Amino acid sequence: LPQRLLCSALMCKAVDIPDLLDRASQRSDKLHSLSNMLALELESDLPAIGRVTMPRPAMCHTSSLLTPNDKEQALQVSESTLMSLARSLLKAWQYPVGVLSNSANLLPHQSKASISNKLQELQEHSRNLEDGLDVLSGKMGPTAQILSTLPYRGGSDLGQDKMSKLINFNFLLSCLRRDSHKIDSFLKVLRCRAANMQPNLC
Amino acid sequence: MMKNDGGVRVFWLLLLFLLYTRGKSFSVPGKPTLTRCRSPEKETFTCWWEPGSDGGLPTTYKLYYRKEGSEKEYQCTDYHTGGKNSCFFNKNDTSIWVNYNITVVATNALGQALSDPLNIDVYFIVEPNPPENLNVTIQNDKGWPFLRASWDPPTKADTRSGWITLIYELRIKLEEEDEWEIHHVGQQKVFNIFGLQSGGTYVIQIRCKPDHGFWSEWSDDVQVVVPNYFPNKRSAWVLLMVFSGMVFLILSWLLHLNSRNLKHCILPPVPGPKIKGFDQKLHKSGKSVDAFKSLEVPDFPHHTFSKSEDFLVEYIEVYVPEEQELMLEKSNNLHNGCLKSESSVSDCDSGRGSCDSHTLLLDKSGHQTNTQDSQTDEQKHGEALQGENLAYTHQDMVSPDMSAGRVKTWPSVFSPLPQNRSTVDQTSSIEIAKQHCLSDSLLPSDFLTPYHSPPGHCTREHLGSNYWEFDFGNKQPHLTQPQTEACHQIQAHSEININTGVKAEPAAHKFPTPRSNEYVEVQRINEEDSVVLRPVASNYDKLFEMQQGEDYSRVKGVDSDNVLLLLQKEAMEEEMNMCPCEQLTDTTGAHYTRFARSPEKPTACTHPTPQPLEERVVNGYVDTATMFTMPPY
Repeated sequence: LPQRLLCSALMCKAVDIPDLLDRASQRSDKLHSLSNMLALELESDLPAIGRVTMPRPAMCHTSSLLTPNDKEQALQVSESTLMSLARSLLKAWQYPVGVLSNSANLLPHQSKASISNKLQELQEHSRNLEDGLDVLSGKMGPTAQILSTLPYRGGSDLGQDKMSKLINFNFLLSCLRRDSHKIDSFLKVLRCRAANMQPNLC
Repeated sequence: MMKNDGGVRVFWLLLLFLLYTRGKSFSVPGKPTLTRCRSPEKETFTCWWEPGSDGGLPTTYKLYYRKEGSEKEYQCTDYHTGGKNSCFFNKNDTSIWVNYNITVVATNALGQALSDPLNIDVYFIVEPNPPENLNVTIQNDKGWPFLRASWDPPTKADTRSGWITLIYELRIKLEEEDEWEIHHVGQQKVFNIFGLQSGGTYVIQIRCKPDHGFWSEWSDDVQVVVPNYFPNKRSAWVLLMVFSGMVFLILSWLLHLNSRNLKHCILPPVPGPKIKGFDQKLHKSGKSVDAFKSLEVPDFPHHTFSKSEDFLVEYIEVYVPEEQELMLEKSNNLHNGCLKSESSVSDCDSGRGSCDSHTLLLDKSGHQTNTQDSQTDEQKHGEALQGENLAYTHQDMVSPDMSAGRVKTWPSVFSPLPQNRSTVDQTSSIEIAKQHCLSDSLLPSDFLTPYHSPPGHCTREHLGSNYWEFDFGNKQPHLTQPQTEACHQIQAHSEININTGVKAEPAAHKFPTPRSNEYVEVQRINEEDSVVLRPVASNYDKLFEMQQGEDYSRVKGVDSDNVLLLLQKEAMEEEMNMCPCEQLTDTTGAHYTRFARSPEKPTACTHPTPQPLEERVVNGYVDTATMFTMPPY
C-alpha cells in the first residue's frame, strides 16, 4: 500500500524507490554529520559575549517554512509533502552554504583549513542529494515537486569585523545543523514507509 | 498588662530564636545549574539541575522555559518523574526542532537565585534507553558451536515508523577476563559470535545509539556456557602425534625410494663438452688424430690449397677515402654500376693496400687501356668472377658513361698521380684501374645481370663467396668455365688467378693463407694489363686490424633497381679501432646495403649499428667498409 502511495499513476517503478530512499537517507545522514561537526567546532571558540548576541534560531531564513514539530504531526504528513519539505529546505541552503564555503578562509579561526574542507564536502553532498531528490520526487507525484522559496537575505559576506564574522558564521551553522537534521529525519521516515519488504531496516 | 505580656512573649521568642540560630548564617540560595537534558525517543525529554547552596533555608526550585518564537513563559509541571532536581517534559509539551530556553529558579525565605539559561533543542539531546530482551543461544554449525544473540530496541523508541533510527553495539568476554571484545552491529537486531572456547562461560552486553545522538547504557549481563565440543583434549593430542608420525614415516620412505632422483635434482651432474662429430671415446683412448679426423669437412679448401705460386686470397678490400668521395659525389653521371662506399673515410681493412699502392698507378700511367675490347669482356666478367679476369669489366660498363672521369674508387690512390694524367684517356684508364681494384661489391649491377641471367644455379650468393677475382686484362678471352662449374669453384675455393708475370714476393712477405688476416696488395700492373699482386707486408696488418670475416658483407643479390644488395653483418662494430672506419649505414633498414643510394657522409671511426644478419656470413665477404655506393643517377 505505501508503495502505491509513493508511485504516481503513470510511472511507477516501485522497486526503485526504497533503494533510492535508502541512498538519499545515507547522503542526508552524512550531510548532517558534517554540519554537526562544524557547528560544534565553531561554537567552542565563541566567546560568551558572542553567544549572547547571537541571533535567535527563529531568525534562521528557513524558519518561515512550516514543518511538523513532533512525531504525531510528522507521521500524519503525506509522503509527497515530506519530500517537498525536504527539497525546499535543501534548496534554500544551496546559496548560503556557498557563502559559508567562500568565507571560510577569511574566518579568524585557527583550524580554518579543516573547516573549509568540511564545508566543501558539505557543499558536494548537498548538491548530490539535491539531484537525487529531484529524481525521487519525479517518481512520487505532483505534490513532491512543489518547492517553497526561502530566500536568504544575509548577503555575500558575513560581516565586516572579526567578531561579527564569527557570530554570523556560528549562527548560520546552527541553522544549517537543524535544517539538515530535519531533512534527514523526513527522508528516514519516508524510507521506512517505503520499505515494507525489508522489515529489518525499520 | 496584656500588652506587656505580648511584648514579653515576642521578646522571649526572639531571644529563643536568636539563641537557636546562633552559629548559623542564612543567605539567599546559591545559583542552581542546569546540568543536562535528555530525550530517550525524540518525543519527551527531561532536564536535570544541580542546586547551589541552599542558604541554610528550605529552598524550592522551579523551572521555567520559553519556546522559540513565543514570549510566553511556561512552567514545568512534572518534577518527579525524572527524579530529584529534574523536570520531565511530556509529549504535549515537547516539540522538536524548536529551541527551548530553560531557566531554574531557586527560592528560599531570603530570596531567590536564577540559573543561567540553557538553550536546547530536542533533536540533539537524544539518548535512548538500552536495548531490551537480550537473548543469547548456542547454535551448532556442523558440530562447531557458536552463539547467536538477539534483542529488541528499547520500548519507547519508535523505530518501526522510522522516527528514530538506532544502531547497536555488542560486547562479550569470558567471565574471568577483564577486557571486552566489542562488535559493531549496525541496525540489525541479531548477531552471531564464533570462535568460542570449549566449556567457557561468556558474558554478553548490548547497547544502542540513535543516528545522531548519545550512546545508551549497557544492558544487563547475559551469561552463557559453551559446551565442550572437544571431547577429550588429551586424546586429541595423541591422535595428532600418531598422525604426524605416520606422515613422517611415509615421507622418509618416499625419500629413500627417490634418493637417486633427488640427488640428480638437487645436485645435477656437470655437463660435458659437446662437439658435433667429436667422439669422446676415441679421444679418451688416446688416438686424438682419429678423433679429430671426424671433424674434418670434406672439400675444405685447406687441403686443396696448392702451395704453388697461386695465391689464395679471400677478399680484396676496397677503400675510398672521404675527401675523394666528396669530390666524386659531385659528378653527376655516375654509372649505376659504379659503386662507391658511403663512408669512405678510411678503411679498417688492409685491403686498401691493394689499390693504394703507388706502384700500380705509376705502372699504369704509361699504359693505355684499350677500351675497345671492353665489350667482349662483358660476358667474361660474369664468368670472370668465378674464374679469373675481372678487371676491365668495369671499364666496359663504365666507359660508355664515363665522360668526365667519374667515380671513383680510391681517390687517394690517385692523388699523387695527377701529374700523370696527361690525357683524358689516361685519366680514364687510371680511373678504370682504380675501379678494378674495387672489391666485389663494386660490380655494377648490370654487369652482373648477364651473369645472373643464366640458367645456372649460380646464384648471387655465390658471388659473395670467398674470393675476388680481378683482372685488368681485358683482352684475354678467358672463357669461363660453365657457370655451374664456376659456381662450384667459387664456393669451394677462393682463388685469384693472377696472370702470368705475377711474381710473388719471396718469403719476405707472408703468403696469404685462407682465412688469414693477410692481404694482397696490387704491386703493379703488368704490360698485359694484369694486376700483379703481392701479399701485404706485415705492417699493414698492424695498421688494419681485421677480424676474420667480420668486416665483410656478403652479397645478397641484386634487386630490381640494379642495386647490389649486401648483407650487413652484426659484428661490424667491432672492427674499428685504429683507423677511422667507413660505415655503410643501412638506409633501408633492411639487412642490405644498398648501393644505389646516395652516399652518406662518411663518419669518422664510427661503428655501424649492429644489425642482425639474416644469413650468417661464413667466409669471404665483401668488405662493406670499403664499399662504394653509387650515387643515384
